[in-house]
Amino acid sequence: MAGIRLDKLSFRYPGADTNTLEDLQLDIANGEAHALLGASGAGKTTLLNLLSGILSPTGGRILFDSEDVSALAGRIRNVAQVFQFPVLYESLSVFENLAFPLQTRRASAARIAERVDYVSAELGIAALHKRKPGTLTLSEKQLVAVGKALTRPDTSLVLLDEPLTAVEPRKKWRLRQALLKAQSDLGVTMIYVTHDQTEALTFAERVSVLTADGILQTGTPEEIYQSPAHEFVGHFVGSPGMNFVPASALGVAHGERIGFRPEWALIDAQGPIAGSIKRIRMQSTENGVPMGLITLDTRFGEIAVRSMANLDVGADIALRVNRYVVFAGKTRVGESALA
Amino acid sequence: MLELTDVRLRADAVEGFDHVFQAGEISVVLGSNNAGKTDLCRLIAGLHTRASGTISVDDCKLGNLAPQHRPVGLVYQAFVNYPNLTVSENIASPMVARRLPAVERDRKVVELASMLQIAEFLDRLPHELSGGQQQRLAIARALAKDAQILLLDEPLANLDFKLRESLENELRDLFGKTSTVVIYTSSDPRDAFALGDQILLLKDGAKIQAGTPIDVYRFPESFAAMELLAEPIINHFESSGDSCALRPEHVLIGNDDVPGNVDFKMLVTANETNGNDSFIHGEVGGRHWVVRCHGMRAIDVGTTIDLFASADDVVCI
Amino acid sequence: MRSLKPRDNRAWFGVLPVVLIVAFSAVIPLMTVVNYSVQDILDFNTRFFVGFEWYRETLNDPRFLSAFVRQVVFSGTILLIEIPLGIAVAKGIPRNSKLTPFILILLALPLLIPWNVVATIWQIFARPDIGLLGVGINALGIPYNYATDPTHAWITIVAMDVWHWTSLVALLAFAGLTAIPRPFYQAAEIDGANRWQIFRLIELPRLRGVLIIAILLRLMDSFMIYTEPFVLTGGGPGNATTFLSQYLTTMAVGQFDLGPAAAFSVIYFLFILLFCWLFYSSVVRNDDS
Repeated sequence: MAGIRLDKLSFRYPGADTNTLEDLQLDIANGEAHALLGASGAGKTTLLNLLSGILSPTGGRILFDSEDVSALAGRIRNVAQVFQFPVLYESLSVFENLAFPLQTRRASAARIAERVDYVSAELGIAALHKRKPGTLTLSEKQLVAVGKALTRPDTSLVLLDEPLTAVEPRKKWRLRQALLKAQSDLGVTMIYVTHDQTEALTFAERVSVLTADGILQTGTPEEIYQSPAHEFVGHFVGSPGMNFVPASALGVAHGERIGFRPEWALIDAQGPIAGSIKRIRMQSTENGVPMGLITLDTRFGEIAVRSMANLDVGADIALRVNRYVVFAGKTRVGESALA
Repeated sequence: MLELTDVRLRADAVEGFDHVFQAGEISVVLGSNNAGKTDLCRLIAGLHTRASGTISVDDCKLGNLAPQHRPVGLVYQAFVNYPNLTVSENIASPMVARRLPAVERDRKVVELASMLQIAEFLDRLPHELSGGQQQRLAIARALAKDAQILLLDEPLANLDFKLRESLENELRDLFGKTSTVVIYTSSDPRDAFALGDQILLLKDGAKIQAGTPIDVYRFPESFAAMELLAEPIINHFESSGDSCALRPEHVLIGNDDVPGNVDFKMLVTANETNGNDSFIHGEVGGRHWVVRCHGMRAIDVGTTIDLFASADDVVCI
Repeated sequence: MRSLKPRDNRAWFGVLPVVLIVAFSAVIPLMTVVNYSVQDILDFNTRFFVGFEWYRETLNDPRFLSAFVRQVVFSGTILLIEIPLGIAVAKGIPRNSKLTPFILILLALPLLIPWNVVATIWQIFARPDIGLLGVGINALGIPYNYATDPTHAWITIVAMDVWHWTSLVALLAFAGLTAIPRPFYQAAEIDGANRWQIFRLIELPRLRGVLIIAILLRLMDSFMIYTEPFVLTGGGPGNATTFLSQYLTTMAVGQFDLGPAAAFSVIYFLFILLFCWLFYSSVVRNDDS
């Protein structure tokens, strides 16, 4: 296992006019579960390929435990990877698949069996050992693929590239939990790349939000959600994302814009933000009363608020904001005291 | 109005079902994989399928009418556009087939393109657009057919999470104004609430319930219907011999002695969160339960917590 | 299998021309041949029903049996050479290079040359008196002469077939190789797999589909080989390169033994069917296990 450091990491594809990644700076501790959260086109795949050694940086360095590996080939870096769809050797049994990365490194049969059994127990796939991948479900296959990435004890880093893409939505959480458990029990450094906030916030100890402009924020899931460092983070994380209004709308003197989450506002006839109801999306009931997301048309644009949903589209209402984050030039400059 | 009579989505279905889709409403057809959603769309569109049944539009039977003659537009999960035609040619293609005059065509192309916010890309080819733009183009093309019925078969399933969210709102605003019969299939209960004026629940090729989302949510006729509108699952338990279930959002953490409430003890096994909501997984009476609560919460795995729920929220069948 | 209930049967009219053509070109001739095979035909007005007599005779005919053995050995030999060689060539073709299209066109060239032209080219090319290859080999001190030495004739025909058809296998295998998603290679590299393991565990299983097609095509085609040995040595020296089709032609056209030739054809046809079926079903059975 290793701590990972990206030091002013840059990459430009041959023939391109601009850098796809520019001056990325990131420290990931040894044994950390780290998520890279970003939309498509943010450079996630490029960064992944740089870490696994498929691409070489055109600027800056990648350090594994303070050793510069920028120029090393993938197989020397000891990086394992789990892909969007399960990549297994179809003619080998599950056990042989799990054992393969150790066999190629000439581990003894006893050592292989011990390690495979250990990892299988962690992931709950010991019962599948004798089967061929072709007979497994997609999520079982992906678990085996995760197992294959974990069997080598000397792996520096495990990369997970949107590993749950192919898994049925209602089965995702099981795999997520299996991954989480294996990560903390084995103490592996893992980087989990995803566009899904549930995955990032559930899996990671720390999350980095990556966009075409670089890493906008690195922090714990709470920090990312509660105090986004950049307007984009507030918008991108959360469903729906943060609402933004001019600072003057709430009478806040410093900063330019104010961001608040739908659950940080309340319907209040005396509130400073007025508008008419454009959409109502029910989400649940509380004590028999429908609750949901109300979208208002205001002079600042659309504003969403979580509230009781027994209202009518077109009705005029006003909002009071209990809690907010202040931004200037898109970055956070302050926030209200916790309500 | 689109009327289905004696529809069997599987060849071995014992009995068919009837359903009416109203004009000017968005109907969300909700079902898990293989529930028959795509078969239903193909049946309505007149494409080859194992499903059978009678389809009438405004009391006029479609019978064996070929797909190209039906008043039906179809948008697939995959972004299907003509790769060699520009965005404007793509949108115009159904109108060329209908021999609309060129002037009328151009006007309509611009109108549709601006409605779906792809007007600035009219001269580009589909592969030069992003995924969300390609799907909007496919929708514009389906709308250009000016069909009475628009079928959207899981159109947003392949898109990034954030893009989905904004397109859902766009679609809601767009179809709220038309008099088209809009049928939108999905496996995600959030789509039912976000888009559906009416919902139709399918399981194993059969209709299990229909109605407004709130009615189906409140008064499910079966656990299967309850499950389809649940995020992520429903919590089962036995109460004096009856099979009962609770939605994750109706289970509250804590100890509450109000009469009429039901109490449980749960061994916590996992925590998940998307920021807005947290999902506490655990075991109650040997069954897998999930509690959904607001905000970011995590409870140490291995601890046992008290839960309660209002008896009004318990569904027994 | 669920029963399907198409609501529009007019599509079958679209298939009608094919049905007619196949009936005309395959089914009717086949039935005629089956008819002939149970008759003794003295002339077109004088025929006797002889039952399975010609079948019995053909299966006991030593010339048929030796031609059959030669045929099986020949098809086996060219498959054993062309399939591995084709895969090896396919692996050697660079992907995404500017050269790739040129290499593919170059490979496709032999496939465009008619059989008799290929045969004539080699017949001259390998002649020990005036052919470049023949003279060259003799210059090395090897007394090569396909017209007199059965082994040399065999080697020449096998070389001809390999030259003509390995490209087909290579092109099919290349298409199969390029369809393998990149993550498979990446994963193998991470696992520390060597080139042989990458080939055996990733490429070979994923090439199965195209290789089955390639083997079936080459098997059926090589089983019907006629032109090449006919042009090269006329089936000689002796009967060394007389394969089934040539013996059949001699019998039917040369000696006008229509009855026995028809029985021969039916047996020949059934053997090709049997080989393909055996091969295909063993492949399918492996899929199920």
